[in-house]
Amino acid sequence: MKNLKNKPKFSWNMFLVVLLATEFLIFGSKNPKFLRPALLFNSVNDYIAICMVSLFVTFVMITGGIDIQVPSIIGLTSITIGVLWQDFGMSPGVAVIFAILLAALCGALSGFFIAYCRVQAMVVTLGGSFLYAGLALLISTLSSTESYQGISGFPDSFKWIAKYKVFGVVPFQIVIYLGMIVIAYLLLHKTKYGRSIFLVGVNANAAEYSGINSRLVKMSTYILSAVSAAIAGVVLTAYLGTAKSDLGSGLTMNIITAVVLGGTLSTGGKGSVIGTALAALIIGLLRFGMPLCFKVNTQYLDIPIGVLLIVVVVGRAVASNPAVTAKLSRLRHEKKKAVSSK
Amino acid sequence: MSNLKKVLRAREVTSFLFLAALFVIVGLINPKFFSVSSISACFNSSVVYTLVAVGMAFAIFVGEIDVSVGSTLGFVATVVGSLLRDGANWIFAFTMGLIIGAIVGLINGWGVAVMKVPSLIFTLGTNGILRGMMYIYAGGAWVENLPKDFKDFSSVTMIGQFTVYYCCAVLLVVSIHLLLTRTRRGRYFIAVGDNASGATLVGIPATRTKVTAYVICGLMSALAGIIFCSRIGFVTSTSGSGYDMKAVAACVLGGISLTGGVGTVIGAAIGAVIMASISYLLVFMGFSSNYDNAITGVILITIVVADALMQHRTAEKNRRARLAARTSVAEEVKGGVRL
Repeated sequence: MKNLKNKPKFSWNMFLVVLLATEFLIFGSKNPKFLRPALLFNSVNDYIAICMVSLFVTFVMITGGIDIQVPSIIGLTSITIGVLWQDFGMSPGVAVIFAILLAALCGALSGFFIAYCRVQAMVVTLGGSFLYAGLALLISTLSSTESYQGISGFPDSFKWIAKYKVFGVVPFQIVIYLGMIVIAYLLLHKTKYGRSIFLVGVNANAAEYSGINSRLVKMSTYILSAVSAAIAGVVLTAYLGTAKSDLGSGLTMNIITAVVLGGTLSTGGKGSVIGTALAALIIGLLRFGMPLCFKVNTQYLDIPIGVLLIVVVVGRAVASNPAVTAKLSRLRHEKKKAVSSK
Repeated sequence: MSNLKKVLRAREVTSFLFLAALFVIVGLINPKFFSVSSISACFNSSVVYTLVAVGMAFAIFVGEIDVSVGSTLGFVATVVGSLLRDGANWIFAFTMGLIIGAIVGLINGWGVAVMKVPSLIFTLGTNGILRGMMYIYAGGAWVENLPKDFKDFSSVTMIGQFTVYYCCAVLLVVSIHLLLTRTRRGRYFIAVGDNASGATLVGIPATRTKVTAYVICGLMSALAGIIFCSRIGFVTSTSGSGYDMKAVAACVLGGISLTGGVGTVIGAAIGAVIMASISYLLVFMGFSSNYDNAITGVILITIVVADALMQHRTAEKNRRARLAARTSVAEEVKGGVRL
């Protein structure tokens, strides 16, 4: 049983690793600059938000929901930190804590409507994406700085988050990201809470009958994804040195692509943290490598990522088509027969 | 009496009352709003939203969603705009736009209905591809210098101060509504959305209906793109972004259930007017347009949560009533013997 369950996941992750290696090979051979560690590590800042947020959106999608409000929470966090620091005189550390709490509250609100009022996740997070982006804009009007300029001039102690390099090479953001991967992995794959997330995704009623508070579990996943978005917002603000209310805009497709490419079923019940982490890295390197090696304008990057998303979902739909699976298993069976008859 | 009840129970009537209440409240705060020009401006400015929302309504009727409408609109606007700028025949340009819309709809329909990919994910993918194609087609530049008579046509009025566009859109919506409710094929959409396997069992071609819904959705967004071009007068590389989400919001405000099978296109059109007038109404109420998104979000969430709670309550009430009816029958049969 264990073998059966682990086998397909393993092969999908292997496929992702191969895809990642291919990316390195193609981009590296096209332009050797791509492989320079300093440049590679520096590029992380362009897609660290996708990586961080997709880890926890995986949780949401395993329960069968979806979260498209995370990009606006990134912007909300950023502008909250800026305004609290500049116009309310808080130290950046306290401002960060407040911003993360605010994000958790936003996630809890959406999660509450989804889990306890049984509204579709898609609609609530759609409303949430308007609401929190609007909130971010309103908060930015509290500031003395014009909202389109963004608030800058943070002290070095705050920018340190994105400027410090472990051993002089590895940016601190990567350490934060690795920490988040470990936490997400342990939480999802090694704890009772993680098992209940899967069970809620497979069958919420059965989970409820087996004593799991399925509503609380659902709500908690939205809080987690909002908090991860807040952390991404902090890191981005520290890196750019500017707090803006629209930092995360346009990331929705990238995040969903990372989660789906990582092997999470959008209908719920299946998914893995490692898969998402690998997939997010694939997307990130694509976003970094295409402009560097093929002179693709960054604004065209939606095409390869959209194609990737569609190819993956259609490919998986074809593979899970009963007619195709029957044929595949027949082939495998015949092969086995041939081997055993020998 | 029963007719009145029926009318009141229709979900789009609630949305219409909401719109009317919104207008009255704004009018009470600022009496200047009660003028033909400002009220008709609310309706006129909603024409693009109306078309996109009605297209989206088709996708939602069959139980799916299409988040690529915004970039379909933008791509069509870019293509039609640049064709017109380069002096192409109007008919040719419009036909090209509609063909693009139909092709996009066909691809979406294939992915969702034939390949059975979750619609949100598939259309998110086509959304990205179209947006990228838009950049490539326009070379990242704005499409400007459209023919003057094309732009001026957007302000031609027909009945009172309503523009020709809005009148045509209303006519289109009403005829679509009649087709959907009065014809056999029109009812397929609601039937498929309500219960796809049930519809298949009674002989309705569910897959073909879904593909048709997506093609209509693509056509409506293309039409919206053409009108967008004429109304705004230029197309940027981000034109149309955000329309997808606002169209979904308009449908929800218009009483269309996102689970499919419930709602009317009239509702979608009313929802579109609400969505389009929010920023305009805010100005009359003395707020800055910065509140636009926040208010939209609050209204959207409030309505869907209230709707979900009410639906849950009716379902629970029906279940209790059924249970009570069943137990009373059982008691009669058993002659009062209790289990």
